[in-house]
Amino acid sequence: MLLINCPYCEATLPELEFAYAGEAHIDRPADPSALSDEEWRDFLFIRTNARGPHFERWRHIHGCGRFFNAVRDTVSDRFLMTYKAGEARPVLNALEAAE
Amino acid sequence: MTTQRHDFNAQPFLLEELPPVGRFSLRVRPGQREALAAALGLELPTAIGQRSSAGQTEVLCLGPDEWAILTAEAERDALVAAGAAAYAQIPHSLVEVSDREITLRLSGAQALTALTAVCPRDIDAIPVGRGARTLFDSATVLLWRDGPQDFRMDVWRSFLPHVRAILDKITVELKSGL
Amino acid sequence: MSRYRIPGMGRVDPAAPVSFTFDGRRYTGLRGDTVASALLANGVHLMGRSFKYHRPRGPVSAGSEEPNALIGTSRGPGRFEPNTRATVQELRQGLVTESQNKFPSLKFDIGAVNDRAYMLFSAGFYYKTFMWPRSFWDKVYEPFIRAAAGLGKSPTEVDPDEYASRYLHTDVLVIGGGASGIAAALVAARSGARVVLVDENAEMGGSLLSDPSVRIDGRGSWAWLAEQLSQLRAAGVRLMTRTTAIGYYHQNFVGLCERLTDHLDQPPHGAPRERMWRVRAEQVVLAQGALEKPLVFDGNDRPGVMLAGSAQTYLNRYGVKVGDCAAVVTSHDSAYYTAFDLVDAGGRVAVIADTRDQVRPDLVEAARRRGIQLLTGHTVTTTYGRLRIKGVRVNPVKGGQVGAGRKIACDTLLMSGGWTPSLHLFSHTKGSLTWDADSRTFLPNHKTEACQIAGAGRGLWGYGPVIEDGVKAGLAAAEALGRTGTAFGAGVEGDRPGTGVSQKELPTDLSAGKAKAFVDYQNDVTAKDIRLAVREGMRSIEHVKRYTTNGMATDQGKMSNINGLMIAADALGKQPPQVGLTTFRPPYTPTSFGAFAGYHKGATFELTRKTPIDPWAEAQGAVFEPVSLWRRAWYFPKGGEDMHAAVARECRATRASVGMFDASTLGKIEVAGPDAVEFMNRMYTNPWTKLAPGRCRYGLLLGEDGFIRDDGVIGRLSQDLFHVTTTTGGAARVLNMMEDYLQTEWPDLNVWLTSTTEQWSTVAVNGPNARKVLEPLVEGLDMSDANFPHMSVAECTVAGLPARLFRISFTGELGFEINVPARHGLALWKAIHEAGRAYDICPYGTESMHVLRAEKGYIIVGQDTDGTVTPQDAGLDWAIGKAKKDFVGKRSLQRPDIVAPNRKQLVGLLTEDGTRLEEGAQIVLDPNQKTPMTMAGHVTSSYDSVALGRPIAMAVITGGHNRMGETVHIPMPNGTIRAKVTSTNFYDPEGERLKA
Ligand SMILES: [Zn+2]
Repeated sequence: MLLINCPYCEATLPELEFAYAGEAHIDRPADPSALSDEEWRDFLFIRTNARGPHFERWRHIHGCGRFFNAVRDTVSDRFLMTYKAGEARPVLNALEAAE
Repeated sequence: MTTQRHDFNAQPFLLEELPPVGRFSLRVRPGQREALAAALGLELPTAIGQRSSAGQTEVLCLGPDEWAILTAEAERDALVAAGAAAYAQIPHSLVEVSDREITLRLSGAQALTALTAVCPRDIDAIPVGRGARTLFDSATVLLWRDGPQDFRMDVWRSFLPHVRAILDKITVELKSGL
Repeated sequence: MSRYRIPGMGRVDPAAPVSFTFDGRRYTGLRGDTVASALLANGVHLMGRSFKYHRPRGPVSAGSEEPNALIGTSRGPGRFEPNTRATVQELRQGLVTESQNKFPSLKFDIGAVNDRAYMLFSAGFYYKTFMWPRSFWDKVYEPFIRAAAGLGKSPTEVDPDEYASRYLHTDVLVIGGGASGIAAALVAARSGARVVLVDENAEMGGSLLSDPSVRIDGRGSWAWLAEQLSQLRAAGVRLMTRTTAIGYYHQNFVGLCERLTDHLDQPPHGAPRERMWRVRAEQVVLAQGALEKPLVFDGNDRPGVMLAGSAQTYLNRYGVKVGDCAAVVTSHDSAYYTAFDLVDAGGRVAVIADTRDQVRPDLVEAARRRGIQLLTGHTVTTTYGRLRIKGVRVNPVKGGQVGAGRKIACDTLLMSGGWTPSLHLFSHTKGSLTWDADSRTFLPNHKTEACQIAGAGRGLWGYGPVIEDGVKAGLAAAEALGRTGTAFGAGVEGDRPGTGVSQKELPTDLSAGKAKAFVDYQNDVTAKDIRLAVREGMRSIEHVKRYTTNGMATDQGKMSNINGLMIAADALGKQPPQVGLTTFRPPYTPTSFGAFAGYHKGATFELTRKTPIDPWAEAQGAVFEPVSLWRRAWYFPKGGEDMHAAVARECRATRASVGMFDASTLGKIEVAGPDAVEFMNRMYTNPWTKLAPGRCRYGLLLGEDGFIRDDGVIGRLSQDLFHVTTTTGGAARVLNMMEDYLQTEWPDLNVWLTSTTEQWSTVAVNGPNARKVLEPLVEGLDMSDANFPHMSVAECTVAGLPARLFRISFTGELGFEINVPARHGLALWKAIHEAGRAYDICPYGTESMHVLRAEKGYIIVGQDTDGTVTPQDAGLDWAIGKAKKDFVGKRSLQRPDIVAPNRKQLVGLLTEDGTRLEEGAQIVLDPNQKTPMTMAGHVTSSYDSVALGRPIAMAVITGGHNRMGETVHIPMPNGTIRAKVTSTNFYDPEGERLKA
């Protein structure tokens, strides 16, 4: 069971309070009808499946209820950081250096 | 409804089902929090887990834009009216959930221990006078810490039989002394 | 006093005899004994038969790593446990124990014929021996394997014990209560940290308990130990014995299994048998010591062959001499101390055979002084005896040549192949190990967790260095916590330092094929098996492991791993680190299912949600079914009715007059705010802008992929307020999905969502007399069809209770759903039931609800849809707001595969011969095609319909909407059923009854 820092609660809490919510920074297109079939397919289904740092979403579902973003290393299963929904994607190099 | 008490001397903790109160889920944009608080005559704390109280009304901050409000049943209409009056100026959501939850009170020497049996969060790290939405076994609950060994737990109605059954098992376990 | 008990020795209580039985015979041990030590005190070594060859076996160790002495234990009715380690189970009054894996008796076992058929059972025997002929599998091989393999019998009764769980958050968790763990805990606690110290044994002390002759700080080691424990208590350390750290997970999360009652004669009432602790520690100190390795030679498994250190434990901790005359074979100094302790306690040691040519002079001198014959540069080539060792053959080894052997009589053979640091938990964390060429063992290297490793786990030996190392670990833990620890020293006299070498199998003069030199006792894997595996092409240690099953038994190779590796490396001509080590996985020792289940057994096995009306249904004798987490009334049988009769009656009553149904489990979400309608437009397929307050609409929710996720009736209570209902199972999921869009895609919208599922209790009243039943109860609303038509909602009073009243129908009949605050749900139900008497109102359950809705072709999301069904597929195009520019899933409805022809579409099916189809049955278009047939779809719903006087079904079929009137075929075991494709709207297709 992991420990996850909720950026809204500003507390590090057990994974059981959280739910995974898929890859992060995949914005819903403003006008889906303008997308080609291929572009729409990519939005729906194509994910990075990263080996290493992975940008992903979690929800503090049994806590404050907020969705937020995280960078988790899929090899070590370690959270490099968490940040609020809507914040910019952090730069990886700096994070990895800090790890 | 009368308060159900389970009070034996040898009990490791006292478990009470508290009578109904007015409960509300309040949502408002953070930028309008202060204005709404003034309109409702309440303090709406900004830190998640923080509480405030005024008279018989208690507020617990659950999220950046979410508060649980408990009031005396007699005061619920006034709160609803205040919300309705402010709505046009300060859009918000004030939903009554008085019947959604039932409050259990756990107090006594081993109340904290009883909670640590099934709550994954570090319950002892919740300061007295604060609260949290968290997990009790597989039920989401609002936990209010009123004293070192004094807690209230708001449980969704349909989860109550399970929560009580687990607490009964914990009681038997703690009574055994092992 | 038992024959082998030495008065005045050990930590057992001579004044407290404990009676128990083994294989029906009564024995007496002492308080503080394990089953193994008590049997050994009575001269019993033979405790079981081995897994594959049914060879006689006795305990080889004195701890949890025991591979041989696995017994069945019975602690009273229903409390039987197989494969209990006799070396772990503490004695309690009246304990009933039995040996395993033998027939007809432990001393004469027919299965031992396997031992003669040794050649048959070589490495990989699972893979090759039973391959051919195929026909032998069912009749010969499988019954044979099933009878021959396996250890104890599974218990057949429900476990009557209770189990508990606990979460614990602490600064420092020290695992292992030996000298180094105690030192670490003390230093950490004195720095102000919260410390927990756990040990799997009945008492703290680790190897100190087996080394009373050592003096620390001027006191005997046991006095020193007692003093440290009292210091630990004074410092507030939580001391937990009989507590095994079973797994070490991410971020210092450690699972502990605490055994609470198995050792007690009379457990207190209600005491749980075991408690699973889930510990989160800032710092973990692993002080788990080291495990002694056997030496690998022919006959190294006979009863009476035992690890030297374990014999020392039996002697010093339990006051039990394991035999009258011991021989010692070793490649490590530690076995000398066992020999010395035995002689000093009045025992006989016939010989110490050391595989090394050079031995420390002080050990040579100490042996000489005690009159022990010492043979350096020797090997053991075989043992004698059947049910108990009678002698050992030792041979000199010179320049790699094995010289002539001689037989030395003995009744115990004590061996030491050196020690393996116990790094199982460290390995759980993916901490890396490094090969230490000097000690020829793996030591901890790179750490992935915030942990310290101390003592013998780092390859250290002797109490002085180990205590010093524990102090260091405690200091490091304190420092990592931002605290300052204070070091302390301990002066050790008579310390027992030691070194040794690691061996592959011992050199022998036997032909390689003959030697039964066991590496893994529990799985009966020999050195020959490992070499054979390498010869047959296994190169990776992981493959060798699986081919031979070395290390795959319940002891996870605690004794066999390194020996197996040494032999495999030798066979491969590589260095051990190049061959690598297999992975240890949790749990460290076998752990009961009960401990994992905790409180979740019996009625609390899983969370069961109940509605306010549930008690009424229960009192009426309703039969319940689980629907997601809820239990719902399934049907209400009357007077011995079966389900079929009850459902038929309920359906008939509802269509003929009026029925009532507990719909409280339906998900309810309050959508409130100025942007509520905009939000609804974006989420649901339907248009909401023009829905007037006071009106309802069927809402359809898609995933972004265009497939149906949920549905429900949605009422608009005011301009800015919607009362959304969801399916019972979808409530939490839908709210989560809505919150996701709201928080992350449209945070600009002024709208908020609140779950009100449990705020409201909901009663549905359906049937031609529904209005007549309700009208007298309703105040503040004109319920006439003109004022309150189908698909209306209003706030009013029902039976004196504040209510939200919907006029909607999931049955095709005139229908209402009354929502009242949940505390009044039961009162409302009773009031309606009472008011409905005049109309013979009939409570119905979920099964009738399913039938009634199927007669109308209303879908159940998750039954008639499966995550690949679009609105068009389900015939719900009408629910799509075509003029809307966007909603969740809209773009996907134009995806190529969704607009492609011949998608599976929802249709009705009527069988020609009137049989009721099986839900899930596959459908084909041509019954005469060759198998495997092309399947065209499957049956999603199927019921006996009273209203139609025949069975009806719904199904998804390729291109189904264009097959109306066609005949399709459903092949079943008893023949193929023909069915006609129809509309799903079987009953009252014009919907006249809704308008009543
Ligand atoms: Zn949070």
